[in-house]
Amino acid sequence: MEADARRQAPSHSLAAGVQTRRGRLWGAIRDALRGSARAPEPPTQQLIIQKHVEALHRGYHVWPALAFGRPPAMGDARWTADLILATWVQAETGRPPENGLEYRVGQSGGGFDALDFKLLPEERWVPEHEPIDTSIPLNQRDAGPKLAIPVPWYGAGMSFGSISEQVMLARAKAAQEWGTYTCAGEGGYPESLYPYRRHVITQIATGMFGVREETIQWAPIVEFKYAQGAKPGLGGHLLGDKATVAVARMRESVPWVSLFSPFPFHSVYSVEDHKKHIDWIKAVNPEALISVKVSTPTDIDMVAVGSYYAGAHILHVDGGYGGTGAAPEIAKKNIAMPVELAIPRVHRFLLQEGIRDELILMASGGIRTADDVAKAIALGADGCVLGTTELVALGCTRCANCERGRGCPFGLTTTDVELCQLVDPEWGAARLSRLYAAFQARLRDLLRRLGLRSVRELRGRVDLLVYRTDRTDRQAGVAGEGRRPGLAECLEVDAVAA
Amino acid sequence: MASMTMPATLPAAAYRRYRIETEAAPDLVPLPPRFRVRVKKHRLLALLLKELLQFRGNLPVVLSRPCVYGVFSGPLGGLAPREALCVGCLRCTVQYPYVVQIMPNPQRRRLGDSYFQPEDVETLLYEARTGRVPVRGAGYRGRFGGEGWDAMWTDMSEIVRPTRDGIHGREFISTAVDIGERPPFLRFDPEGRPSGPLPQVVTVQVPFLFDAPPPRHGDGSTALLAAILAEAARQLETLAILPLPLAVEAGIGGSHVVPLVAPGEWPWLDRLSWPPRVIELDGWDRARYLELRRRFPDAVACVRLPMDADVLALADEGARVFHLAANYHGRAGQGFAMDLIRRTHLRLVDDGVREDVTLIGSGGMVMAEHVPKAIICGLDAVALDTALWVALQGRLVGECVDRETAAVSFPRLQPEWGVQRLKNLAAAWRDQLLEVLGAMGLRDVRRLRGELGRCMFQPDLEREAFAGIEGYGS
Repeated sequence: MEADARRQAPSHSLAAGVQTRRGRLWGAIRDALRGSARAPEPPTQQLIIQKHVEALHRGYHVWPALAFGRPPAMGDARWTADLILATWVQAETGRPPENGLEYRVGQSGGGFDALDFKLLPEERWVPEHEPIDTSIPLNQRDAGPKLAIPVPWYGAGMSFGSISEQVMLARAKAAQEWGTYTCAGEGGYPESLYPYRRHVITQIATGMFGVREETIQWAPIVEFKYAQGAKPGLGGHLLGDKATVAVARMRESVPWVSLFSPFPFHSVYSVEDHKKHIDWIKAVNPEALISVKVSTPTDIDMVAVGSYYAGAHILHVDGGYGGTGAAPEIAKKNIAMPVELAIPRVHRFLLQEGIRDELILMASGGIRTADDVAKAIALGADGCVLGTTELVALGCTRCANCERGRGCPFGLTTTDVELCQLVDPEWGAARLSRLYAAFQARLRDLLRRLGLRSVRELRGRVDLLVYRTDRTDRQAGVAGEGRRPGLAECLEVDAVAA
Repeated sequence: MASMTMPATLPAAAYRRYRIETEAAPDLVPLPPRFRVRVKKHRLLALLLKELLQFRGNLPVVLSRPCVYGVFSGPLGGLAPREALCVGCLRCTVQYPYVVQIMPNPQRRRLGDSYFQPEDVETLLYEARTGRVPVRGAGYRGRFGGEGWDAMWTDMSEIVRPTRDGIHGREFISTAVDIGERPPFLRFDPEGRPSGPLPQVVTVQVPFLFDAPPPRHGDGSTALLAAILAEAARQLETLAILPLPLAVEAGIGGSHVVPLVAPGEWPWLDRLSWPPRVIELDGWDRARYLELRRRFPDAVACVRLPMDADVLALADEGARVFHLAANYHGRAGQGFAMDLIRRTHLRLVDDGVREDVTLIGSGGMVMAEHVPKAIICGLDAVALDTALWVALQGRLVGECVDRETAAVSFPRLQPEWGVQRLKNLAAAWRDQLLEVLGAMGLRDVRRLRGELGRCMFQPDLEREAFAGIEGYGS
């Protein structure tokens, strides 16, 4: 109990010096200086949180304007500084940036970053006044509810514990607003998400953490996670520091003890075993669609067919470059193929087998932009699953310290009671919603320029793609780089941001 | 090390599960911080004044810092940031862009050389320091595939895989490999006694050996380095390859030491004071090879060759154990190690002699993932070189390309520290090997050798995925 209390209490790292003698003295002077007529101030801890939240929000607004150039230490080959800043812009404005930030591709030198679209000449574009449909179905089989989503993406599985309740709530709110879905990952979901449960995908992974009869009964989609792209074949791992009392209660485990989801399902060694799993879900909730999340081994095409024959409605292929709260570096880089290379293999094999139109193929694992979504669909997917992109929209800088110490310093992938408060669910939902709007706008723009009236017409259209070798080493644009504002201008930033 | 001459059944008490003892072995020479923290002090003071007014003197609020890692928690706060603690989360600069900037430290870019990238050096030093598998949050951050070993992905198995529990310790995955000769079948006389050649192998507990150090060092610590390599090999139950004169002069010997005999060093054999289990001949010379086998009939005789050599021809002449050496950048002739190993392996398979032959490879295998990848391509074991020296905080002087010209500058080596660093490195690499094997569902690294169906090559996959796309291949 003592340990629990200690861990639940704010660490005061943001408020270093609270208990110093000088602090008490200053507090006494300050109190004496204050008039008794002043309105009572919020508690200090709340003020501290408020101060940092405001500063963070200001930063998310100011940095993409490039008044300070690009943060020199931000970004990597996959997620460049431009992509991160452009995602912040889209989450703030609901439309792509217009100041030269590269918002379409990164600098990884291959895959999506080497692909581009062969746009039609302007006279062949779909006219502006004609609607462009971005919806996709999620069930093409004869049986089961005919669910559809208005945009070709939904949220990836991120568990309670790997991310904060606030972030889960923000994602669920945005999913409800858009009529799409978010996935609670393996670990159940807290009561605050119950109002959004018709938009929450329940995930069943090997640890069965948080799997309850009612969450299966409520779920519009139940996702079996066989593997995760970032750590294929390695199962899951929630570090002890993140297994708070609330998280452990949800998972029916012991607080502050690391939790492993060992791989694989020990009840599934064949397609027939897999079918039994699906039958079990159907017994609990006959109305649920079944999604099967797998990684990208060399026989991914056979896995896809096996999932179809087991009765899955959705095959979710998670490529090797996917996100994670923590994974061995060797796994991220070396095990299983990137999703760009897996999608065509699955798509073509399902076509050859004559079952392509009965199985929905969702792709994830490195989908960063609306352009990536469109390219994945052109390669053969029906839609995509967004994970890291949503976190970046909420302020993630991709620093890769999710698992370290108290968790994410931006309050995203953490269960630290103090850091969690840096994300307000309403604020987060609004940002995600605007990101979705920006992605949809960009997708519509692309479709219009390709002469397509529906995103469903784009599926498998590799003839609309072009491979750009000149892109492989291209540097991002440098608009705004180099300019440094003066002190007076800096101190005015607050006012400008407001 | 174990020998095939061991009795078929062992008493239960003789069984010992292989384990590498790790222990923190901090860097002797501190690494430069990953990031530079640049604080504009006048702007910080201006910010503090502004916040003093804004929060009406509430010091806990004013002095609360954006860093959760303690960079600004020193006595002077942001006026004297503690750069060593910065992990590059950028929260400070996101919040206060006009006060603080975080920059990658250019000194870090000077680690390694053009092949041994700075990021590789950082990873390797972490492994040697801690003995742990590098684990980080967020997804992959690098380029899409790449060249050399980066153009290869290993496979995993979704469901049909009952041996996955190995890495969680409930089931044992063996990382032991055999080095030596194994006839394809045994012959017996009418009385049932073996009448033909018997297997002659040495079993090492990890599929990596330690290759000979470069002849040139900055500070002449060759003997000490050799002693560290040999002792670490002994404790890890693997082998250290050492130049024969060096081993003799430094008095380093034992069953874990493999003397490397160059053509001009033949007379040194007379001074060899211990019976080697494996002895390596530098370059092919049929007469000398036969002489080695005659003088050391109980030892496994290995021939060191350039990686692009024609092994099959030498196998026809009777050699069975080969050490294929590329340069430290993984190249031999016009080819890269990955392709050369595959080519040799497949030739031996086609000729039906692969099971008779042991292939050891070295050169350009500097990261943990290179070991399973090289084994998949066809090696039985890898001999490590530059990775070991970097683990000992050796600084590559200029381009470290080949053994003749490479120069490495070491700090003042401490034997116990050095041995622990190599044990830590071996533990981290072995654990990562277990991850890769576990993902595939294999319980024995011997099973991985030449399993080309369990890997994917970038050019093949791209050809399949992008062949119909305009511009691809042009």
